[in-house]
Amino acid sequence: MASDPHSQGHSHDHDAHAAISHDEAPGYYEIMETAVRELLMAKGFITANDIRHQIEVLDSRTPALGAAVVARAWTDPAFKSRLLADGRAGCEELGITFYDDTQLIVLENSESVHNLIVCTLCSCYPRPVLGLPPDWYKLKPYRARAVIEPRKVLAEFGTIIPDDVEVRVSDSTAVIRYLVLPRRPAGTEDWTEQDLAGLVTRDAMIGVIPVTLNDRGMK
Amino acid sequence: MSTQDFVSRLPNDIGGFAAGPIDRAEHELEPWEKRCHALADVLDFKKMINTEEKRKGVEALGESLIGKLPYYERWIVAFANISFTKGYFTPTELAEKMAEVESRTAAEPKPL
Amino acid sequence: MNTPALSAVRPALFERPSFAVGDRVRVSQRAPIGHYRVPIYLRGIAGVVARIIEPAFVDNEEEGYGRNAGSKRYYYRVAFAMTDLWNGYTGSPNDELQIEIIESWLEQI
Repeated sequence: MASDPHSQGHSHDHDAHAAISHDEAPGYYEIMETAVRELLMAKGFITANDIRHQIEVLDSRTPALGAAVVARAWTDPAFKSRLLADGRAGCEELGITFYDDTQLIVLENSESVHNLIVCTLCSCYPRPVLGLPPDWYKLKPYRARAVIEPRKVLAEFGTIIPDDVEVRVSDSTAVIRYLVLPRRPAGTEDWTEQDLAGLVTRDAMIGVIPVTLNDRGMK
Repeated sequence: MSTQDFVSRLPNDIGGFAAGPIDRAEHELEPWEKRCHALADVLDFKKMINTEEKRKGVEALGESLIGKLPYYERWIVAFANISFTKGYFTPTELAEKMAEVESRTAAEPKPL
Repeated sequence: MNTPALSAVRPALFERPSFAVGDRVRVSQRAPIGHYRVPIYLRGIAGVVARIIEPAFVDNEEEGYGRNAGSKRYYYRVAFAMTDLWNGYTGSPNDELQIEIIESWLEQI
């Protein structure tokens, strides 16, 4: 492949993603991805259907799943205790499979503890139940700082935790993934499970913000 | 920093490092990035390249390259390197396949 | 009814966790090269076992070499005081960090 000055110009700004124009020829790494995949298929290691199927799996995993788990835990105390004892089994009760064969620990926020999730070594994330992580979760500033100055990181998300509440950071490094069970907002006592699920955001289940009654969430 | 740290600290082991503010801009995965993610999962399911080999393969790119390459670019280069090591295909086969893919896709521009 | 044979069953090495919830443990101070999954900021730090992770898993550091095999060992969720991890930690003294660590990296205190 001929050297292309355009590709070199990209090396310094990898955190930014320029607008993609779809008539552009595929880039070097996209070509590499196609070539690796086609070689593995030609040699019989994988099939096109394997990839197609897994893309459908990925597309089916979104924060709405985690929100459904949280809303169920808020409204069903027996489910909540099973979920806290074994997060994966709790999610599996609702039909959420753990395709990556990870375990899940659900971390309950309370009056005295606020949980925050990070993966300092890479980008471990509860993908089966939240989908793929946001860019900032995978980049250095969040990964480097969340373990040493979690309160400053939280403040950047607008979350101020009182000093008498423990901030508990979970660094995910191996076979366990984490999901924060946020506190249920006051004033939602008569809400349905479905309405409650509509309040629960991805970021609240990572632990960077609380669940609040915003305009979008009002019944 | 002693030279010992160059080999005993992995480039991705950055917990506690000083770093700037969090940029919360998010991008939608490009189709090839999603295919790359699906490929990673499939290679792990089949234990051809397990998740831990992928992590190690990314670390093996070294600090400089990890700092310069975006996320899925790191993954696909790691998959290529691991595939050479495990004998799934050779560097020559990949080079020839990439040339073929490039000429094929250049001949058929993607519709808007 | 408990027969003598049942109560005499002896588990093999690593079949049962070596540590219990509440045990004080220290992360080994070693510095491997090649591949590891215990961040450097934890090395040599003392903490408390908060949870035993069931079941045991293969050693993910060995998994990095593609063996897809090897002894399963227990992982533990271990709690560390932030003030033990970082000099001059600026948050609340109650703040803590929890992380899963494989048994082979932990020493009893």
